[in-house]
Amino acid sequence: MRSVVRNVSLSLVILWFFALSFSVVHGQEAVLDEAALPAQGPVMLLAQGLTPVPAGPAPAKPSDEYGNVTAEEAEATTGKGAQIADPIEPWNRAMYHFNDKLYFWVLKPVTRGYKAAVPEDFRGLFSNFYKNLESPIRIVNNMLQGKPGYAGKELVRLVINSTIGVGGLRDCAGECFGIKGRNADFGQTLGKYGVGFGFYLVWPVLGPSSPRDTVGFVGDWLLRPATYLSSNFFDPVSMGLYVHESVNTTSFHLGDYEALKGAAIDPYVAIRDAYVQHRTEVLKR
Amino acid sequence: MKKTLIGSMLLIWLMAPLFAFAGVPLDTVKANANSVLEVLRDPKLKGEAGRKVKEQKIQAAAEKLFDFVELSKRTLGLSWNNFTPEQRKEFVQLFEGILKDAYVDKILAYSNEQINFTKEVPLSETTVEVDSVVVTKGAQVPINYRVIKKDNEWRVYDVVIEGVSLINNYRTQFREILGNNPPEKLLETLRKKTGAK
Repeated sequence: MRSVVRNVSLSLVILWFFALSFSVVHGQEAVLDEAALPAQGPVMLLAQGLTPVPAGPAPAKPSDEYGNVTAEEAEATTGKGAQIADPIEPWNRAMYHFNDKLYFWVLKPVTRGYKAAVPEDFRGLFSNFYKNLESPIRIVNNMLQGKPGYAGKELVRLVINSTIGVGGLRDCAGECFGIKGRNADFGQTLGKYGVGFGFYLVWPVLGPSSPRDTVGFVGDWLLRPATYLSSNFFDPVSMGLYVHESVNTTSFHLGDYEALKGAAIDPYVAIRDAYVQHRTEVLKR
Repeated sequence: MKKTLIGSMLLIWLMAPLFAFAGVPLDTVKANANSVLEVLRDPKLKGEAGRKVKEQKIQAAAEKLFDFVELSKRTLGLSWNNFTPEQRKEFVQLFEGILKDAYVDKILAYSNEQINFTKEVPLSETTVEVDSVVVTKGAQVPINYRVIKKDNEWRVYDVVIEGVSLINNYRTQFREILGNNPPEKLLETLRKKTGAK
């Protein structure tokens, strides 16, 4: 549920699955990406200086704003496009539709009721609370990413916010002392170690992911204190907290998914691309 | 020695406007964003009629701020060259309509969000990225505007939200259509999308 939320808000979607054969899958990714670019054909031809299909009048002069695009100009914008292989597209599309219905039929109405009932200030406190609970994820992953300075800051934030910030309800470390942390998750850590996405993988409820990010999700899940509320892996209280966190987060992002979907020509492709672009950018931080 | 000193001082003095100029892209985007926020917070604009006025004002601000031709060109990349001049004009028009329709509603839902403009990052000789953060009680969303200088005016050609570039996102979608079809097929898809509203 949380990941649906995050995907919806163009925020993180973190879910990860299988560590083995990363480098192998990663190697294949590059090959599959080539195949996934049907537009490369004509683009390549044009880049070699062949005239475009001359339908109608000759192309306007370069000075005209509707004039041709040069290869260099195109390279400047298209050069760094992030890609992902999508070998199990039928499964992914089915899961996309399932999650879409889940959002409109369940998550959205529940969140609207919640938003109407709970004042924004309270929802803000809850989101601080959950962010504070997830400190271990950020501390450990900042360490793993070779950023002990930020790991220390996150630890200081955890101590200050849990005490002066009344159990994490207030972000006093940030507001009173100006200590800013750094987001970090295990999927990002794996990515920084050179592990590729593998391929695009949509989970029911949890949303867009990849094998790498699925492993990351499980790793992060194990660092959540709520996981250890009971000896059962799926504890009702822990799950309840997770659902509340998801609804609380979504209450700040109602309308984001609708805008993205409404603007998209193919919402499935739009979300897949948003996931890849976002997760690629996260590695540069 | 003295001459060089005076000379260099004069040079610095002459260049001063250039330094001041560095803030123009950010100010342009900021001024437009603020004018939209003012419209949104205008207490006089209420109800259905007020909403219509707000919509119009936001659309006008978008037209002033965005360079939809540049945005379209960069979205299509070299595929743009396969379009005839008429098809190019129609594409820009349709694309502009789709973007406005989709995002005006979203912008109208804004109320007490705060937008902080943080910095400018030069991308090339004529392009700059203006970074901002939209702050609500529960989230901070980084939104970066990529602007290009044309005829001494800075206008937006791409918006990057949480690392997701608008034009890259559409390029991926259009590529699936343009890969095996002529430009007309894409135009048809866009027409259907705008007509369906």
